[in-house]
Amino acid sequence: MIRRLLTLAVLTTASAFAQQISLTGAGSTFAYPLYSSWASQYHTLHPNVEVNYQSIGSGGGIRQLIAGTVDFGATDGPMTDKELAEAQQKRGTAILHFPTALGADVPSYNIPGVSAELKFTPAALAGIYLGHITKWNDPEIQKANPGIKLPAANIVVIHRSDGSGTTYCWVDYLSKVSPDWKNKVGVGTSVNWPVGLGGKGNEGVSGLIRRIPNSIGYIELIYSIQNHILYGEVENSSGKFIKADLNTVTFAAAGASKTMPADFRVSITNPASAQAYPISTYTWLLIPEKMSDKTKGAALKAFLHWGLTDGQKYAAPLAYAPLPNVVVQRELQQMKKLQY
Amino acid sequence: MIVSRSSSNSPSYPPRSRKIINYIMLSLTGLCTLLVVSVLLTILVYLLWNGVHALNLNFFTKLPAPVGQSGGGVSNAIIGTLKLLALASAIGVPIGLLGGIYLSEFAGGWSAFTVRYTTDLLNGVPSVVMGIFVYTLVVLPMHHFSTLAGGIALGIMMIPIALRSTEDFLRAVPRSLREGGLALGASKSETIFTIVIPAAIYGIITGIMLDVARVAGETAPLLFTAFGNQFNSPGWLQPTASLPVVIYNYAISPYDEWHQQAWAAGFVLLSGLLVVSIIARLILARGKKLSHG
Repeated sequence: MIRRLLTLAVLTTASAFAQQISLTGAGSTFAYPLYSSWASQYHTLHPNVEVNYQSIGSGGGIRQLIAGTVDFGATDGPMTDKELAEAQQKRGTAILHFPTALGADVPSYNIPGVSAELKFTPAALAGIYLGHITKWNDPEIQKANPGIKLPAANIVVIHRSDGSGTTYCWVDYLSKVSPDWKNKVGVGTSVNWPVGLGGKGNEGVSGLIRRIPNSIGYIELIYSIQNHILYGEVENSSGKFIKADLNTVTFAAAGASKTMPADFRVSITNPASAQAYPISTYTWLLIPEKMSDKTKGAALKAFLHWGLTDGQKYAAPLAYAPLPNVVVQRELQQMKKLQY
Repeated sequence: MIVSRSSSNSPSYPPRSRKIINYIMLSLTGLCTLLVVSVLLTILVYLLWNGVHALNLNFFTKLPAPVGQSGGGVSNAIIGTLKLLALASAIGVPIGLLGGIYLSEFAGGWSAFTVRYTTDLLNGVPSVVMGIFVYTLVVLPMHHFSTLAGGIALGIMMIPIALRSTEDFLRAVPRSLREGGLALGASKSETIFTIVIPAAIYGIITGIMLDVARVAGETAPLLFTAFGNQFNSPGWLQPTASLPVVIYNYAISPYDEWHQQAWAAGFVLLSGLLVVSIIARLILARGKKLSHG
């Protein structure tokens, strides 16, 4: 049996025209549905390249990238200067951010008896996550939803337990709309939560929301859609209640694409645009500037190029907004920095 | 203690209260036995009940489908687990076997005590710690999650049980056999390898098979060593999928189809372990029959 397997392995290796290349990446669960679709499509187009993406959370992805155990990382909260310096020191290479798509954090809930789409004010979201608002029929929630009968049940708050870019986007938004949040909790891929239960990954949080009645959690839009979890509209900076979808997220991106910094590390939460969904974010692939294995480097570069161009068409069916063309052009320029 | 008393011959002995207590205790122990057996049966039936929809040919032959899309299987995880177990056995069995022989045949005094004591401590090390240990020792320097790292983690976990079970079965070989061998002019090593070990071989094999079955279900040591892979892992130096990690990831996911596949994977894993364990018992029974018959 073993001999047969060995012969088979030798034969397939010998007959394969190109060398088998596997790239390992880890991080964001926010963008996992997109990257897993990319990996599968790309493998069909280039059977000799396998892109193995593991969704361990943005925090974990950044850690493993710094430790050098993965070829690329993925995050939805940009790496901090300290993390970039640590990577430079440990790996001897800069890490470049490449936006790949845009997504939205949506407040998703499971309230027995309520099948309507709720509206959330920034004050309501901050209040719930600070622990000030504890009942579903709290006046702050009720006043935005006049026609809906909300129960007097306690709110079960769900957040992420792992280091997460989804969290980064969520708390970045809360910090912008609530001074109280900014002072007491702050921004990061993981924070000291005043209240709530932790779930691992977008997958885990979605699972908890589905299982626990009267719960609320923040997840990437596609997880709400695929799992038929209700999610609410959020009031933006112009006082309009906006539902997260392809258009409203694209509006958020459009405003920010003009002011995009050279390293692409930008936050687009709570933008000025009246049509924009306020809790949107870019999601980034983290690519090392230098790689010791040139063959792998070339494959990674080709995969990135494909993702930024042809791969963009797989974003919309999964409810991620494709990149604005201006940003894609600038990224293709940035790719010239990659030294392999 | 057998003192005959006049009361013991009376027709009312044993007294009724004792008979009642006897019945109560007997039925209690019977109930507990039933409970233990039914837990295993319930788990098996429950796994099968929930996973039966996902158990089809694709499940065994296909790679996982992209997130949120239907179809796909876990062939890569099944192959991954088999590779991990093969590697773990290649590491754990020789060390455990030779260590067990040393303990039972050569060691004495404080060295035996030290080996035995550290082995037992090693057995008590939480499996997640073993994962972190191998991550630091193998993954970080090699800059790669790999089948190799996962196999080493499981292999180290196999050593204590392989060692202690080998020692126990060797010790059960009667001293007279060893003396017989030596009296006929065989050297000590000849005696051990041609008389003592063959006499205990069925037990030793059983112990090792149960040991393999034990580590087959470990998740924690694999999370940061074997990592995961949605493709087949070529060779030994790439990250690989494994059944326990797939079950863990799929079980916490929000997708119904993944839940079903997790149940099915659990059923496949448990059935595999049951088969191994039954074969182990059969080998042991055959060994007993041979040595007594």
